[in-house]
Amino acid sequence: MPDHSAIMHMGQDLLVILHGDLDDRTVESIEREVTSEVARTSARGALIDVSGVDVIDSFVAQVLARLVRMVRLLGAEAAIVGIRPAVAISLVELGASMPDVTTALSAEQGMARLRRMRADNSVRIDHGKHC
Amino acid sequence: MASIAEIPAADPLASTSVAIDGESDLLRVRSVARAHARQAGLGVTATTKVVTAASELARNILHYATGGRGIATVQQAASGQKRGVRAVFTDSGPGIADLGAAMRSGFSTGGGLGLGLPGSRRLVDEFSIDSAPGSGTRVAICQWDR
Amino acid sequence: MAVDPVAVVEDLAYYTQMVNTITDYAVIHLDNEGVVRSWHAGAEHLTGYTAEEIIGQPAAVFYTVADAAAGRVEADLRTATAADSQVTEGWRLRKGGAPYWASVVLTAVLDQSGPAGFGMVVRDLTAGREQALMLRSLEQLVNSIADLEVIRFDCDGLVRSWNPGAQKLTGYVAEEVIGHHVSMFYNEDDASSGVLDREMTGAARDGSMEAEGWRIRKDGSRFWANIVLSPIRDDQGELAGYVKVARDLTERREQDQLVQRQRDEILELSTPVIQVWDKVLVLPLIGTLDSGRAARLTESLLERIAADQAEVVILDISGVPGIDSGVAQHLLETVEAARLMGTESILSGVRPDTAQSMVHLGIDLGGLRSRTSLRDALQLALRLIDARAGSRDEAGIRA
Repeated sequence: MPDHSAIMHMGQDLLVILHGDLDDRTVESIEREVTSEVARTSARGALIDVSGVDVIDSFVAQVLARLVRMVRLLGAEAAIVGIRPAVAISLVELGASMPDVTTALSAEQGMARLRRMRADNSVRIDHGKHC
Repeated sequence: MASIAEIPAADPLASTSVAIDGESDLLRVRSVARAHARQAGLGVTATTKVVTAASELARNILHYATGGRGIATVQQAASGQKRGVRAVFTDSGPGIADLGAAMRSGFSTGGGLGLGLPGSRRLVDEFSIDSAPGSGTRVAICQWDR
Repeated sequence: MAVDPVAVVEDLAYYTQMVNTITDYAVIHLDNEGVVRSWHAGAEHLTGYTAEEIIGQPAAVFYTVADAAAGRVEADLRTATAADSQVTEGWRLRKGGAPYWASVVLTAVLDQSGPAGFGMVVRDLTAGREQALMLRSLEQLVNSIADLEVIRFDCDGLVRSWNPGAQKLTGYVAEEVIGHHVSMFYNEDDASSGVLDREMTGAARDGSMEAEGWRIRKDGSRFWANIVLSPIRDDQGELAGYVKVARDLTERREQDQLVQRQRDEILELSTPVIQVWDKVLVLPLIGTLDSGRAARLTESLLERIAADQAEVVILDISGVPGIDSGVAQHLLETVEAARLMGTESILSGVRPDTAQSMVHLGIDLGGLRSRTSLRDALQLALRLIDARAGSRDEAGIRA
């Protein structure tokens, strides 16, 4: 595991913490690691915490968005949390603001979001059975 | 903690050049830009913007220049009381045939297409580009403190 | 060689007449020893001596005391004899000792019998010399000005002179600019839009022209210049070029802008981000929203979101006079940046006429919810917070 990231298990969820200045190779290997870990543990959710990252350019944003899509394809929910104000502004100016990605302010809020999304999904499934 | 390169304090207008040859050079470009921004006293937002733009433009060189080679030169800028960071990115790549289209295209660079040039331009205070087929490309940016 | 005596006499008479009509300079005949033998009105005009006073005097009286003592007279006569003529410039004295700057042509004269003295033609160059000196002292003055650019360019706009101030201001040395067109200091837009022509025409018409604008240094950086352009006219009043005096006002302009920004910031202090409920922030926008102000507001809003852990932000636009596409763009960017921090936004204070003009302008707010009143926006905000907390109010949220 590269020292710019750490993957932790919190119940049924994965918490991935990224920090520092990430080079392209690291970002792509994190993508692979997280995807395979979600598959391996059948995690229900994955949170990518970027509060320790002070620059996210269009490539990294692209990889993060791709990671979220892949986790969803594996049947789990994903969110990016902790994007810093300056990074948020820069991503919007760049036009790389990852429109389909769920976001949250912190890991704590992110966990609550993941739980809510799972609850919503199960409610919808119930309704589907209705008529 | 992001890595920050040290630059000599003796000459505040000294420039640092980074040869762009491989992926690890993107990291160096970012840390050099960060160091100059810190020396120039840029705030967090201005620093993030210029480092992000530098990363984008260095990345362009890596992906689009011939042999993926070019040079990034970063230095502080001063204008009256204002201080800032100026960076120039040059390559002897194929050049851009339709500069107008390149500057309009790819508003969302999420798809990986487009050169991210209009995005970089929006990020920084000053932006200029010179490019022609066969003559390579030169992009100059400048970001000031408030 | 036989000489026709009648012709000589006639020549002499003609010559004498010709010399007598010359008044601008002196044509004097000296004998072989350098003694004055002829005189005329021009010589009297130049030196102040009358014919009676000077004929028979040695030419040494015209020279300065120092020159005469140093044997200059004899030396000059010798040089003229050896070389047939001698041209010099130097100080000479009028009657009474007043010096003047003279141009002297001394020519050895030969007749049938050999050396027949010298012809001395003297011109008073004092005025010209003073002009030359004044020019030189003006040049030195311009060269000592290190903080102002003082340059001259010709009617075609080609730079003809440079000074240390110009070098300091722009970074160019003289060799790089002399002979080049003055548009090299302008940015591309100005150069092509005819700003320079307008400045030159204005100066020629009104006697001087003052302007301010961005100019480009050698390193590509720009500075805010204050420029005064004056036309140069020759003796006939024809345009011969321009003098340009320029100074760097970047600092003053920045101070003006700083004052403006401080005013804006004071305005912003009167539009604080308000926490109206746990996790709900309201940002009442007041006044116009240019990109600089929008950027600053976005920054402070996002910092408050982080500090207060806000989940919903209400942007109240009832105090914004007009929502055009520019303002809408800024709003949408702020909303998107807040979204990246996990925050949902609601637009409030959208009046019917605002909504109308937005539709008219084709402004698409995307998924951004909007409400007419702050109260309605607050109600929606609280429902959103509840929903996030996990309450199963699946009916309410889609509104």
